[in-house]
Amino acid sequence: MDLRYSGTMGMISEFAASELPKDYYANLLSEIKEINKKLNAFNVVNEGISSGFPFSVKDNICVKGFEATAGSRMLKGYIPPFNATAVERLLAKDYGFVGKTAMDEFGFGSFGINTDRIARNPFDTDRVAGGSSSGAAVATAILKYHVAMCESTGGSIANPAANCGVVGFTPTYGVISRYGLIDYSNSLDKIGFMARKAEDIRTVLDVVRGPDKRDTTSVDRQITGVKKSRLYIIKGTLEKVDKEVALSFSKFIDKLGSEGYEIKEVSVEDIEKSIPAYYIISMAEASTNLAKYNGYKYGLKNENFVEQYNDFFTEARANFGIEAKRRIILGTFVRSANVKGRYYYRALKIRAKIIERMSAILQDGFIISPTLPMKAPKLEEAQRLPPVKAYMSDFLNIPPNLGGFPHISFPFDYIDGLPIGAQIITSHFNDYALLDFASEWEKQFEYRFKYNLGSL
Amino acid sequence: MEGLPIDSLCKVSRIALTEEEKARMEKELEEILEYFDSISDVDCDSYDPAYHPVEIQPKFREDEVEEYISADEMISQTKTYRFFVVGPKI
Amino acid sequence: MKIGLEVHIALPTKSKLFCGCSTEQTELPNSHVCPVCMGFPGSKPVLNKKALEVCLSVANALKCKLAESTSFIRKTYFYPDLPKSFQISQLDQAVGTDGRVIIKTSAGSKEIRITRVQLEEDPAKIIRGEDYTLIDFNRAGVPLAEIVTAPDISSEEELSSFINELRSILYYQGVDINKELKADLNISTTGDRVEIKNVTGVKNLLDAMRYEVSRQEELARNGHEIHSETRSYDESKMETVGSREKESAEEYGFIFEPDLTVYDTSWAVLKEPVIASRIAEEYSKKYNYSEGTIYDLIKFDMKALEFIDSAKERYSMQSVVGCIELLKKYDLMSIDEASFEKVLKALDSGISLDESKIKLLISGKNVEERHLNDEIIEDIIRKEIGDAEKFKEEYARNPKIINFIVGKVVKEYGASPGYVAEKIRKMLNL
Repeated sequence: MDLRYSGTMGMISEFAASELPKDYYANLLSEIKEINKKLNAFNVVNEGISSGFPFSVKDNICVKGFEATAGSRMLKGYIPPFNATAVERLLAKDYGFVGKTAMDEFGFGSFGINTDRIARNPFDTDRVAGGSSSGAAVATAILKYHVAMCESTGGSIANPAANCGVVGFTPTYGVISRYGLIDYSNSLDKIGFMARKAEDIRTVLDVVRGPDKRDTTSVDRQITGVKKSRLYIIKGTLEKVDKEVALSFSKFIDKLGSEGYEIKEVSVEDIEKSIPAYYIISMAEASTNLAKYNGYKYGLKNENFVEQYNDFFTEARANFGIEAKRRIILGTFVRSANVKGRYYYRALKIRAKIIERMSAILQDGFIISPTLPMKAPKLEEAQRLPPVKAYMSDFLNIPPNLGGFPHISFPFDYIDGLPIGAQIITSHFNDYALLDFASEWEKQFEYRFKYNLGSL
Repeated sequence: MEGLPIDSLCKVSRIALTEEEKARMEKELEEILEYFDSISDVDCDSYDPAYHPVEIQPKFREDEVEEYISADEMISQTKTYRFFVVGPKI
Repeated sequence: MKIGLEVHIALPTKSKLFCGCSTEQTELPNSHVCPVCMGFPGSKPVLNKKALEVCLSVANALKCKLAESTSFIRKTYFYPDLPKSFQISQLDQAVGTDGRVIIKTSAGSKEIRITRVQLEEDPAKIIRGEDYTLIDFNRAGVPLAEIVTAPDISSEEELSSFINELRSILYYQGVDINKELKADLNISTTGDRVEIKNVTGVKNLLDAMRYEVSRQEELARNGHEIHSETRSYDESKMETVGSREKESAEEYGFIFEPDLTVYDTSWAVLKEPVIASRIAEEYSKKYNYSEGTIYDLIKFDMKALEFIDSAKERYSMQSVVGCIELLKKYDLMSIDEASFEKVLKALDSGISLDESKIKLLISGKNVEERHLNDEIIEDIIRKEIGDAEKFKEEYARNPKIINFIVGKVVKEYGASPGYVAEKIRKMLNL
């Protein structure tokens, strides 16, 4: 492992410079398993981990030889015969795979509740961890030396990172290969990372990023770190979030202003339409991606071979969760011949418009906002929320995700002991700038954690 | 605004809903569809559909045979019969 | 009667359309498979450059307008042979559109329009069992060209001619025409269009068409309307049957394939189209020889065309064709041009050749004239001609028919074509 020193020492550097006790990993595993009973961060742990800086993998990213369920009953028992490229690249650099983390089924969810074993917020186990990379966020919040490989389609990294008080980074679409990522929505999915220090994310990003011959959509582009001195707030943002969050965020903004950033309000025409557009596109693609799960090739198996194939498939597919069924039905609808123009095509045009508008703004500033409109909700609250309300609550995270813009979330305050995150967006391929921003912030703000498993 | 043809959508996507699920879903889907309909007034005709958020350059494979994963591994998780994968009858 | 075809042909590539698995035929099921072609979660397609190039070349040979930019869509439906439950195929930006094939029938020339040529992946192969299906994914992901015609075909003769012509064009593009042709037939007579799906092989296509047309005509005679439906062809009964699967109205719900992108095509190197029928017509006029004979010789045999081209300026077509027919008879077509020249020269000079003589020539030795048995030659001529008066009448109308008889005699006996032609003229006072 190579020692890297920069403005803020990362956990990887600290770990590499430390002497590990003989049974470090055995102890780590037993600590994890114990706390997992309460927090459900991991779907499966790697009993064989014996070296390397620990990294976890969201359960929709394939690790050869380990169950990949993507949080779904439909993939129970599926053991991928290959590694995702991103995983392969980390393993090649001797990082230590520690386990698969819990998530909403196939990525469908913003709270982590759409799955059998629900991950719990380490700050308050009655509250959600966020979604869909819920387990990744929990793991990062409890393990001292660890990075989480996770994934975002509509905000699934920023959301749980903010809820669990860790740094969550989503790169530009195409920067990290999607080969081996179990698809939710191919034109929106991005692999990313969570960690306790932005520096660590930068380290693993550099290992994992770059073109992959197995993924046509992995791009060959330079990543820049151009700092912007202006911070844009989209008009109306603070009116739409909880008062306590707005108040705290305003103080945060003032602080940044005093440190030299120019704060400016900006309007983005039709930005609120990015949410329905996002759901239309993602559900359309998801409904095709989920068609392959029909009970005879991998995962859950239907044994009823007396049934004709239509009934056989339908019986197997009854094992999707209710949110998955909802999205399959809607997704099938929005791309059906007679309404396609109104929904699927229109949504794609709106994506083009939003990207153009946001790109123009991001030329000379970052966009900043609270990551979420409120602190982590209680589990029952989240479960009672009607789906359409849940979709609407993603309004802060969806625009950068729809546009494939890199964005980062990091804690900037605690309210009633619960972490509150800020989200920064920059232009395509200016990913390093966000990590630099967060690293700068870490010089003056220490993130708090309730657990520190694997401490040395 | 026309309602969702739930029954035919379920048939096409091979998703069976229980009576309970169906009753619950009808209202939820109606609300979501109404929300989707809010995009109808967006001025976007001058835009081409963005199939990807960034430009994806064409990338090809050369016509060469690659032995990637062993065939044994590939069928190790399915029900097989004399190396065929067993599927439902047609 | 309006008939259209949707033909699927496997393209000649070493590896599959979206992955590096081999396309080679093999007895062992599921031996050329990987996560991509078996549709495993997380796998992604990457386009085979050669497959696109060959498809463009085929489209060009069918006189299509070629797409400057081509892209793919997902066609989603459920069937055990479809690994991802969607097929990656094409829609708006297909490789080629607006092409045509010229066919010849007894009524003359006709243009059959090619609506589109598109590139897509083959589903897996399935074997129907009683309580299950057996699936072999070796075929899944093989690159296919789908060739769609307008419903311009209006008789069995035209259908047969079209299939022949199409196979010849494809043959010269490098497609393996020994692999059986797979097509859907669209047939309308008095009413709606009926689709006959998945008919394999030329014979079955003609049989299915014949059956379906008479079925429709019978219905019409009895006062029934013909409604749009999908049927399949039962080879054993030689009948088309209503689809036993309740056509659960599949909604394909096409979307742009988001794991792929838009591909420009200007880099492609196209294989020169060879239209055997056009060449046969040209040579027939230019070299005064039967068009039909030349066409039959070269349509699925590029070696024969090579030989003809190497010698047509210097020898009579009669001799050239005669020589080729002899070589085919003795299965010696794999020789090189120089050897062909040797055999041709000997034949043309009047030496009558048998298998051993030909082999001697090829190996570089000389041969001597063999004593021709005139009686035998005359017997064969008489046998082939049949009714002499009738032959004379036909000859008066079309002198080229003599070539046909000459060819048969040469094939059977091996005498020089010139000699045989002279003999015939003498015998019949032509």
